[in-house]
Amino acid sequence: MPARGYNGRTAYIFIAPMLIVVCAFVLLPVGGTVWLSFLREVTYLPAKFVGLGNFSRLIRDENFWQSLKFTAAFTGVCVPLEVVLGLCFALILNERIPMRNLIRATILVPWAVPTIVSARTWELIYNYSYGLANYVTQAVGLSDQPINWLGSPASAFVALVVADVWKTTPFVAIILLAGLQTIPEGIYEHAKVDGAGLTQRFLKITLPLLKPALAVVLIFRSIDTVRILDLIYVLTNGGPGGSTTSLSLLGYKYFNEGDFGYGSAIAVVVFLLAFVLSISYLRATGFGKVFK
Amino acid sequence: MSEARVRKILLAVGTAFMIVFCLTPFMWMIAVSVSKYPDFLGSQSFVVTFRNYLDIITIGSLHFLDHLRNSLIVSATVALACALIAASAAYAVSRLRFRGRMPISLGVLALSTFPQISLVGYLYKLMRSLGLINTYPALILPYIAWTVPLGFWILLSYISRIPHDLDDAAIADGASRGLVFRKIVLPIAAPGLFSAILLIFIAAFNEFLFALMLTTDHSARTIPVGIALFQGLHGEIPWGYIMAASTLASLPLVTLAMVFQRYVIQDITRGALKG
Amino acid sequence: MQRKALILIALAIFTVCSRTSQKVTFMIGGAPAELDYWEALASKFSDSTGIDIAILRQPTDTDQRRQGLVVPLRAGEKDPDAFLMDIVWIGQFAASGWLEPLDSYVDNEGFDLSPFFERVIDLADRYDGHLIALPVYVDAGLLYYRSDLLAEYGYNEAPVTWNELAKIAMEVQAKQRKINPQFWGFVWQGAQYEGLICNFLEYAVSNGGGIVARGESLIINSPANIEALTFMRDLLAKYRISPPNTYTEMKEEQVRSFFESGNALFERNWPYAWGLHQSPDSKVRGKVGISLLPKFEGGHHAATLGGWHIAISRNSDAKRQAWEFLKYVVSRRVQTDFAVDLGWNPARRDVYDSPKVRERAPHLVKLREVFESATARPTLPYYSLLSKMLQQKVNAALSGMMEPEKALDEAQAEAREIAARYKR
Repeated sequence: MPARGYNGRTAYIFIAPMLIVVCAFVLLPVGGTVWLSFLREVTYLPAKFVGLGNFSRLIRDENFWQSLKFTAAFTGVCVPLEVVLGLCFALILNERIPMRNLIRATILVPWAVPTIVSARTWELIYNYSYGLANYVTQAVGLSDQPINWLGSPASAFVALVVADVWKTTPFVAIILLAGLQTIPEGIYEHAKVDGAGLTQRFLKITLPLLKPALAVVLIFRSIDTVRILDLIYVLTNGGPGGSTTSLSLLGYKYFNEGDFGYGSAIAVVVFLLAFVLSISYLRATGFGKVFK
Repeated sequence: MSEARVRKILLAVGTAFMIVFCLTPFMWMIAVSVSKYPDFLGSQSFVVTFRNYLDIITIGSLHFLDHLRNSLIVSATVALACALIAASAAYAVSRLRFRGRMPISLGVLALSTFPQISLVGYLYKLMRSLGLINTYPALILPYIAWTVPLGFWILLSYISRIPHDLDDAAIADGASRGLVFRKIVLPIAAPGLFSAILLIFIAAFNEFLFALMLTTDHSARTIPVGIALFQGLHGEIPWGYIMAASTLASLPLVTLAMVFQRYVIQDITRGALKG
Repeated sequence: MQRKALILIALAIFTVCSRTSQKVTFMIGGAPAELDYWEALASKFSDSTGIDIAILRQPTDTDQRRQGLVVPLRAGEKDPDAFLMDIVWIGQFAASGWLEPLDSYVDNEGFDLSPFFERVIDLADRYDGHLIALPVYVDAGLLYYRSDLLAEYGYNEAPVTWNELAKIAMEVQAKQRKINPQFWGFVWQGAQYEGLICNFLEYAVSNGGGIVARGESLIINSPANIEALTFMRDLLAKYRISPPNTYTEMKEEQVRSFFESGNALFERNWPYAWGLHQSPDSKVRGKVGISLLPKFEGGHHAATLGGWHIAISRNSDAKRQAWEFLKYVVSRRVQTDFAVDLGWNPARRDVYDSPKVRERAPHLVKLREVFESATARPTLPYYSLLSKMLQQKVNAALSGMMEPEKALDEAQAEAREIAARYKR
């Protein structure tokens, strides 16, 4: 039996459990959602097939474009921030620092706090009259008036970014840390002998070898940011004036108000967006080589 | 300045920033949890009390301990099952050639991008017809399906970096694929496996929407829903309770993370990896 | 003959047995203590009737509660048999055919509807001419004021018009600021959520405006509404008597605790705040008065109707038993207990006359007057979509991102589209 030849039967045995759970609990409902996106499905109206009607309605819907813009901007700002910061954290944690194990566990804390709670915590931090953020800015002298953090589209955006980056950077750090473990110490020693400096070693060795882990991080962070819901639901509920409505929040509203067809169409758009992003990351990081 | 010195300063500054960044909001959480009034930076003064902790543990109607137990059982089962399922799939994709390798990998990923709200109606009907509403399996099964892409891709990125020479040699010696997977690949992939378990555990621990819709009371409800239930009729938010409950709930996770660090960092395996 | 009788008897026994073993599932959300209260209520009911009630617990968050109902109802599930609905869901639920019409039950038993607030039943519990729910408790907007401060600055009574309110608030705020820099004149619900529409409607209707006029014709950008919304924005931007976080954070709880910490002169809130303002921890205990919300000159007082209603699912397999439970929940005795134990405002007028209630909740007497004339939100099946859109526009106007007139013009146009798309 050739070790790397075509090996269908064995492979399917290994992969079957995953396929079964995914088909039963994800593929079928997803199929249902896609089907609903072609219907006018409102709880109190007779269901009707409308083809691409929901999607053409999306194109004409200003709120949809506003949400799309917000979601794109939010993803564009959050994901790079999280990855850069998470990479720094992972690099630090990979070094021999004092109390390394304890520190590694503590940086997981933000990720470990349930989103529904951390969103509430940030709500309290941004509170206008007794929040920590205003207390600190006033105590440090950055501002003599309390700031209404969630009050303008720009500051609400920043507030959401900070909360999201805080929450998810540990996730990035943990995956990248595991990735760093796959880089043998010896390579660095060689490079050192060859006279490569700190930056050079990072750019020439660490980064290229970290690409698969980076791809995973980029993909999963982008997916999660594109469909962000809980944090925004709690902190701004889309305000002020609808400026922070993410696509998922928009879709959520329609699901909640009983228009399942239109809600499903939005879900399909979220999916397409996340999928296109994922593919492009795989391309950019050369992760596709795994499949060669 | 020498390289070693730059490195040291960077490390010290970086570590300090990291700790402050990650822990400040958490410290604030703890401060609120032991304060009599949540608005102690405003009109009230800071009065320390452990009432919140006592209350959430002793007030029966909050069912905090029930929810915590449910969360631990559900998340542990999900994390273990999911990691194994994901590891075996990742092994197959990285080592074996078969039709549908790439479509399956991408398909699994693509499916995981659908917003949960669009899936919940179907899952409800399914669990209802199976008679599983308000039981552990009602949460465990969808959670596995919903987290398996993450585990699969983490492990795929990890296992694909493990050189094939080891398992090729074992197979040449007549070992079966199953044996190679269990005895060679899994142990070497331990750091990846443990970080996957950790992240999946946390994801399952924190999931809200499925838990809300697929359970009806404390016999299967998990912590996030339990905490959401604290809220009062007009949206009164018992900050003290919420913060105390989340502080307690994050303890098992931090402990788990500490224990797992040992396995995530395994210097011995380094030699076995290709450069 | 004998055999037939035997079969009949067996059948009778069978139906009796199956009936008594039939459980009624009841879905209810709320704070833990309230849910426990319902459990106790259910077991009392079971003891006296032999009908078992299984409580399905839900959180308080209204979106989550609604989802918890829509999913099984849409799937045509038998459970829950009975449930509570927010007043604003009734249109959608009724139009979707999820609610069992109660007319025949009422007619067959001669069930007396006269003790209930007629206005509440007519505005909320009837749909297409059918009775489809019963009110469990009712809410309406109120003006709370600091009686001590008003007296201190020489005012004997709460303001009757919005302009008076603004004038008094500006004066008192300016003077109080010297003692308490955090003091504000008037706090109300301006965050982007359903409560904002309740507030908006009160200004609009008290100026002769509203959301719909006679049936379904939309009057969102009427001059009366534009004037009302301009006034709301002026509270923040011109008179500066409401704090800047009004349009970001202020929901009923934030407003309540703001007022309760002694930092505001006037407050718009629901009746529940009364009990909390009088609690031992409150800094305004004994210094609070309540009154009808002000109106615009030439308008009439308006208070938005809120509250929760109980209904039976069309798909229920235990409708008879559920009806028994419904009757129990809205009975005078249970409604009195709600008022005394939970501080809920009963939906029955006769409860307000009970001496026990008068003693424990004196403010309820004043409330009765408010409920008799409350304003309902439109009972359109697509009301929530309309409301979500309007929340965004009104909030944008409050934040200064948009002029009130433009916001309401846009809202009117979008509302037309929504109505065209979603009308039955």
